[in-house]
Amino acid sequence: MKQSLHDAAVVGIGRTNYSRKSGRTPTSLAAEACRAALVDAGLTPADVDGFTCFDTGSSSASASAVAHAIGVDDLGWCLNVYGGGNIVTTTVMGAVTAVTSGQAEVVVAYRVLASNTRYGKNLGVIEVDGEHQFAGPHGYLVPPQWFAMFAQRHQHEYGSTSEDLGAIAIQERLHASRNPHAVGKDPITLDDYMNSRWIAEPFRLFDCCYEVDGAVAIVITTSDRAKDLPHPPVYVLGAADSNRDGGSVVQFSDMTTMFSAGTAPKLWKRTGLQASDIDVACMYDCFTFTVMATFEDFGFCEKGEVGDYFRAGRATFGGDVVVNPHGGLLSEGYIHGMNHHYEAVLQLRNEAGNRQVPNAQTALVTSGAGPFGGALIYGTAATL
Amino acid sequence: MSTTTEHTDAPASLPPQPAPDVDTQGFWEATANGRLAMCRCINPQCRLWMMPPLDACRKCAAPTNFEEVSGQGSVYTFVVQRQAAVSGYLDNLPYVVGIIELDEQPGLRLPGRIVDIIPEDVHCDMRVQAALEPLPGGDYVVPVFRVLH
Ligand SMILES: [Zn+2]
Repeated sequence: MKQSLHDAAVVGIGRTNYSRKSGRTPTSLAAEACRAALVDAGLTPADVDGFTCFDTGSSSASASAVAHAIGVDDLGWCLNVYGGGNIVTTTVMGAVTAVTSGQAEVVVAYRVLASNTRYGKNLGVIEVDGEHQFAGPHGYLVPPQWFAMFAQRHQHEYGSTSEDLGAIAIQERLHASRNPHAVGKDPITLDDYMNSRWIAEPFRLFDCCYEVDGAVAIVITTSDRAKDLPHPPVYVLGAADSNRDGGSVVQFSDMTTMFSAGTAPKLWKRTGLQASDIDVACMYDCFTFTVMATFEDFGFCEKGEVGDYFRAGRATFGGDVVVNPHGGLLSEGYIHGMNHHYEAVLQLRNEAGNRQVPNAQTALVTSGAGPFGGALIYGTAATL
Repeated sequence: MSTTTEHTDAPASLPPQPAPDVDTQGFWEATANGRLAMCRCINPQCRLWMMPPLDACRKCAAPTNFEEVSGQGSVYTFVVQRQAAVSGYLDNLPYVVGIIELDEQPGLRLPGRIVDIIPEDVHCDMRVQAALEPLPGGDYVVPVFRVLH
């Protein structure tokens, strides 16, 4: 019998508080989020036989260690994925396919970040190998610089502006102001944005995500089992990925686009959907420009029109699609895109409270920036 | 993917140093000898330039070697770094880093600082010329770029 994505569903979501400095270990944070997701799912650690997470190599909270920490004695399926935001879709889809292929029945997928991991600066480096050996010696080594390069080229070719990037930052902050869980809740004006300090020009402070300590977990099980659990199941309608130019932030051919130029056509083809079918767009937003490029690539608007789109209110409640109703990585907090999955599921369950997108049935969740990344579309039972 | 070697104490006062491997050491040997050279396929029917360097061509699997390039190219894009973000660049601010597309082949790019220019004068597609300068730390020579006149 052919496996179907619809044979699995997301049945639980959990998270910790997000803070600048928790004073806690990655294992402690991850365990709390995983336990919360299982409680939400109406399951216990005894039900769990699969675990997965992703990491860039700086955390000690491996999937097996965290599973052990919450009392799981034996895992039939355990996958530690190496990567950052680019790999979230792959990690979640690994959990989905573990379930649909019968390798596991209940899988927990999580991401944790703690104060030992901050990506904006790297002041202790003494040696760099691989491709970065050509860039690091020039003081070019950290993500804000990489994606500011993309933004600069887009401004050159399409005339996009700081004000356009600011419109994204302002909108997401406004959304976060309705979200008690967000760390950046105070609305900002265009003046605030323009006057914020340079990080890597053309990026200012408010172009950059809000790095925090915290963890997010989701629970995936079979659709059969999901029927008896407390919340309406959320299904994956399709997923796609793109990895180009060796994952290089120097050699990536067209920096006015991102991975999404490759991911979007695959995803639309696999699902039979298009941008106008999406109710909630959780766009990976390590930086404002990531939203700009990926939003264009997914066909929500033409090249160079994102600023006008946001200023016209088309990316918020009452517009065409609500982009990052939780405030995204820019304002809710940087849990490397796993918090986008939490928000998408919350919205499709109609449990998002004062930021609920009315009658939300479909949610696009993108992950990654630059040369590599993926995306999936979640849907309610009504969309199957 | 590459890795970085760090120590966790005070910020390092030197810029990150290259850690060459057998595939990249030809680049650094060339700069140390006053030449800018890039990795190129030796197959006469192919002759692909590639970055990062490989010991076998990614198109035809033939051997590669390092061949001198003109050092001329265009600024594909750039950033102006105004706050300390990387070791060795703590007080020498602002500085400009460009991604330079070399004339030898479309899409053949090399990162490097663009020097002797005020940041406001740098723009995409600006023509530049490479020059070689010692990297503080002693062992390596790196390409930097200046406006091509
Ligand atoms: Zn070749």
